[in-house]
Amino acid sequence: MALVLTDEVSLPLRVIRDLKSEGLNEEEAVVITQCGSLGGKLSFGDAFFGTVFVLLSKIDNLTDQWVSEISRVLKPGAQVLLQTLLVPDNQAKPSSQIERKLLISGFVDVQSTDGSQSVLVKGKKASWSTGSSFPLKKTAKVLPKIQLSDESDLIDEDSLLSEEDLKKPELPLVGDCEVGSTRKACKNCTCGRAEAEQKVEKLQLTAEQISNPQSACGNCGLGDAFRCGGCPYKGLPPFKLGEKVSFGGDFLAADI
Amino acid sequence: MEGKKKRLLVLYASQTGNAMDVAERVGREAERGGCPSVEVQSMDHFDPNTLPSESTVIFVVSTTGQGDPPDTMKVFWRFLLKRNLGSSWLEGLHYAVFGLGDSGYQKYNFAAKKLDKRLQDLGAKPIIEKGLGDDQHPSGYEGALDPWLMSLWKTLNHVNSTILPEMSEILHPSMNKLEHPKFKIMYHASSEVVQHDSHISDLKDMKNMIERARSMSPSLHGHDHGEPHYLLKMVTNKQLSKGDDGRDVRQFVLEPLASVVEYQVGDVLEVLPGQNPAFVDAFIKRCKLDPDSYITIEPWSGERDAMDSYVNGSSDHPIQLRTFVSRAMDVASASPRRYFFEVMSYYASAEHEKEKLQFFASPEGRDDLYQYNQKEHRTVLEVLEDFPSVELPFEWLVQLVPPLKKRLFSISSSPLAHPNQVHLTVSVVSTMTPLKRRRYGLCSSWLASLDPNKNEEVLVPSWIHRGTLPPPPPMLPLILIGPGTGCAPFRAYIEERAMQNLVESTAPILFFFGCRNRDSDFLYQDFWLAHSSDDGILSEEKGGGFYVAFSREQERKVYVQHKIREQSARVWGLLNAGAAIYLAGSSTKMPADVTEALEEVVAKESGVSREAAARWLKTLEKAGRFNIETWS
Repeated sequence: MALVLTDEVSLPLRVIRDLKSEGLNEEEAVVITQCGSLGGKLSFGDAFFGTVFVLLSKIDNLTDQWVSEISRVLKPGAQVLLQTLLVPDNQAKPSSQIERKLLISGFVDVQSTDGSQSVLVKGKKASWSTGSSFPLKKTAKVLPKIQLSDESDLIDEDSLLSEEDLKKPELPLVGDCEVGSTRKACKNCTCGRAEAEQKVEKLQLTAEQISNPQSACGNCGLGDAFRCGGCPYKGLPPFKLGEKVSFGGDFLAADI
Repeated sequence: MEGKKKRLLVLYASQTGNAMDVAERVGREAERGGCPSVEVQSMDHFDPNTLPSESTVIFVVSTTGQGDPPDTMKVFWRFLLKRNLGSSWLEGLHYAVFGLGDSGYQKYNFAAKKLDKRLQDLGAKPIIEKGLGDDQHPSGYEGALDPWLMSLWKTLNHVNSTILPEMSEILHPSMNKLEHPKFKIMYHASSEVVQHDSHISDLKDMKNMIERARSMSPSLHGHDHGEPHYLLKMVTNKQLSKGDDGRDVRQFVLEPLASVVEYQVGDVLEVLPGQNPAFVDAFIKRCKLDPDSYITIEPWSGERDAMDSYVNGSSDHPIQLRTFVSRAMDVASASPRRYFFEVMSYYASAEHEKEKLQFFASPEGRDDLYQYNQKEHRTVLEVLEDFPSVELPFEWLVQLVPPLKKRLFSISSSPLAHPNQVHLTVSVVSTMTPLKRRRYGLCSSWLASLDPNKNEEVLVPSWIHRGTLPPPPPMLPLILIGPGTGCAPFRAYIEERAMQNLVESTAPILFFFGCRNRDSDFLYQDFWLAHSSDDGILSEEKGGGFYVAFSREQERKVYVQHKIREQSARVWGLLNAGAAIYLAGSSTKMPADVTEALEEVVAKESGVSREAAARWLKTLEKAGRFNIETWS
């Protein structure tokens, strides 16, 4: 069963006969004219038709809703053919507009033929209902064509990159910077930094150090900005010598 | 060079504020060097048509994780790519490019590299070679910036000594001349204020107050979005992750109080986080500010403005100081920048503090500053407490304290399934610093702290924006890849399609999810399984599928890309049927790994070469059928 759909008021029988050459093999066909008055809905069940022909006088009449409806009433794997007349002053390519609408609604194998007076676009409803019916094309060595919107007025930006740019970048060497990064030990350091320059091990705090903190170098209570690498109080907020050290964690962490 | 503007223009494209900071430093140093006319502008406020009329332009551009330019560069860049500009369009333009990027990524500093090449192709002349800042460097991008900037000034000065007549100030900064703050604070008598913040009674007033506070902030100027669209209430706050590996993933359900929230799947929710009132108060106290005073902030434009900071009569919607700090200044989360330390040094009365701050602001102290500040995620409040003798005037605080930023979240619900509700799937960010201090993400931890059962209503100021992922029509087959919280937008897609499937036929969905193990972070397990059985839209009977990679359930790591390879026939089948691929997540390396796996699938199933498969996927991307959304 085929469906012939048109937004025109009338459709000459000749047109139906011409459609036979496009593949209208069906015995029976339903013809609907003035389809614009249907409000975008067809009164047929899902997967009802083996072919759908659409003859458009105005390309704008092909709304997304119509494309959806057409897809709905088509059997999986069945074909839709759309024909529209070319309007001389129309800037946009009608075939690419139609193709885009079909693709975005899930039609496959979309192709168009541009004639001098009219344009014909074909597409197939995908069939995925059972996993086995995919055309896997293992040896076809051809990938499905993808429609791109017209961006030929821009250059390809990837062409701006050199071979060197495309290689995986090398991570910077540590020490490969202008100035040194070693932290100076305090002048009168007592914590061990001065002897062991490389070692940055955090010394454990004793209970005594927490309740009655002292600092020979005088910097430990000033906060991280002034402490040296080996300072046992590193990471803690500033404190006053002799007063119990608060851990600050509760105050500074968020409430959860 | 007739008709060319004689100024030095610094154009920046910033995503998180780093490129802007660099651009401001470039401008500042040029001014110190006596440059007669300097202008610093964001690229999205600049008309590219006027580029040929410039004589000297310094470009500062960041590259995001996926190799893309920042959003603020998109329009400018598109213009520059036009084929018809010609190779002499920028003749007479002298330029230099500094890029901010991360060499941990394949597409390292791509935005800066492409820009540099394109400018040359259009006829512009580079002053010096491009500089490439690298997050992997021990002191971040500043490591490359310091020497590059010095080289830039020396070269410019050599070519034309009138550009920087006071070059010595740059080479040997005297450190005793500070610029004037860019803004002035006007204090208003309480009796003059029309809208008192203490009288905020309804939602409309609250939205208005938030807008007024944020529109006053110079750092947010021009890039904020006006009044919140909604003030949402948290109605559900549920932990989705289990186990004690420290990960905390939450489901938040938010509802509007007195309106209807409208959105579509794929949209994002932008949230203004609240700050802990204790921190706001501590900051105000430390800075000796009067929380109840009413202020307006205006640009400072020269000496004549220095007189008279009191204004009588009504003025432009004054805001309470405390409200401004709370809604527009990030006092206890974001780290300040190098310039903050430099300005602080001028206002330190204790000698050892002054010395330390000057050291931090110098090239010699750069690495130490990086260790102390960035690596430790030092907050403004912590820095001010570590340097107690510093008294910064409010004008400087307004200019230098990082602005309180809104955060974006993918919406994980479909309005068809949950009318008038917005669902979010959020991982509470938590990091351990080198000094073993635990830091939490400001917005995620604030949201996690909101208790739906408490009486006092804490509202979430929110905006709805279209996301980068376009919502798919029901008949479009989908291949969704979303490990971890990347599943958030896909829960929305799947909810929506399940609802659509009740009234019309829909195309199938293949969904690839990944997590550590099924007992701890298998988010929404029941939801996915329900839809993949009983002929659901994720079921294999319907042409779809649901596949999970548990990375830690076996000896070797299994990720989503492995599952994709396992299902290569199915993936190819749907691709061949016109499917669109959507990829989302927070992992930085995942998109590259998944793309590689997809290339292999296409090559294997269709018999073409890897190169041809890669090109085909690139075309798919350009056609809008391969979409990637990542967040950090």
